[in-house]
Amino acid sequence: MGEIRKLSFAYAGLLTLLGLTVGSSFVDLGGFNSAINLAIAAAKTAVIALSFMHLTSKGLPRLVVAAVGLWLVILFGLTLVGQ
Amino acid sequence: MSGQTQSIAFDKASREKAADILAMWVFIGSEAMLFGAIFLVFLIAHMNYGAAFAAASKHLSLRLGTLNTAILITSSFTMALAHMYSADGRWRAAIWSLAATSLLGLGFLAVKAVEYSKEFSDGLAPVLGAPFSYTGPDPVHAEFFFGLYFAMTFLHALHLIAGILAIAGVLALWSHANPAGRARRIQAVGLYWHFVDIVWVFLFPILYLINRG
Repeated sequence: MGEIRKLSFAYAGLLTLLGLTVGSSFVDLGGFNSAINLAIAAAKTAVIALSFMHLTSKGLPRLVVAAVGLWLVILFGLTLVGQ
Repeated sequence: MSGQTQSIAFDKASREKAADILAMWVFIGSEAMLFGAIFLVFLIAHMNYGAAFAAASKHLSLRLGTLNTAILITSSFTMALAHMYSADGRWRAAIWSLAATSLLGLGFLAVKAVEYSKEFSDGLAPVLGAPFSYTGPDPVHAEFFFGLYFAMTFLHALHLIAGILAIAGVLALWSHANPAGRARRIQAVGLYWHFVDIVWVFLFPILYLINRG
């Protein structure tokens, strides 16, 4: 039953984050609204990846994620440098 | 143990499972590059036409977008349950969880269809030759926003349809697979489903939540 409790916590956390991101968009925070929304999206991604996709277990999947992250950084980084 | 493997390429079921999971992650990585490039196009456009994008974003239904986010998060939860039940050998519960996941996916598509039809009737859909009659400021770049909105959400919807078909495939081939094979398939479909959920987790704020205040 430990597993179902863990998944339920993750689910509740995701719904809470959804409430936060929608709620924060009604408050004018100057230029910080987008940053908060993206930070919350990243937090949701972490919850999904760690609890639902079991990325906590060591091994090759983590290497794949790191490689994808590196290529995305290159993609975004080199494009934004030219802006 | 050797009788448990699907392919003769593996001597142990655990190695076959590890290979399956790695292949799914590599596939998900290639999908992440596809969506990453599209997100980058949106980011650059948003940086250049921020005001037009913010005004256009207000025409999307925040209520339906939020509802759909909740539906998709719930479907990821039921998919995680299906994986948990299959690992425990509780097959009936796993089948019900998979069925719930695909029904929630269909629910998401139904809500999306309602949104699309509203946007088409409001003249906010610059796709398929539909008339575009936007009355706000800077209609040229608002049209760009709605074009990106339709391209991104439709590509996402196609991925969700593929996920629903994959779940249907797992259920259709249920009796042909041994228990280890079933668990592996559920895990593979689950990884894909969660990835499609993550894509929406980013689509929702960038499309629906630009300066709502």
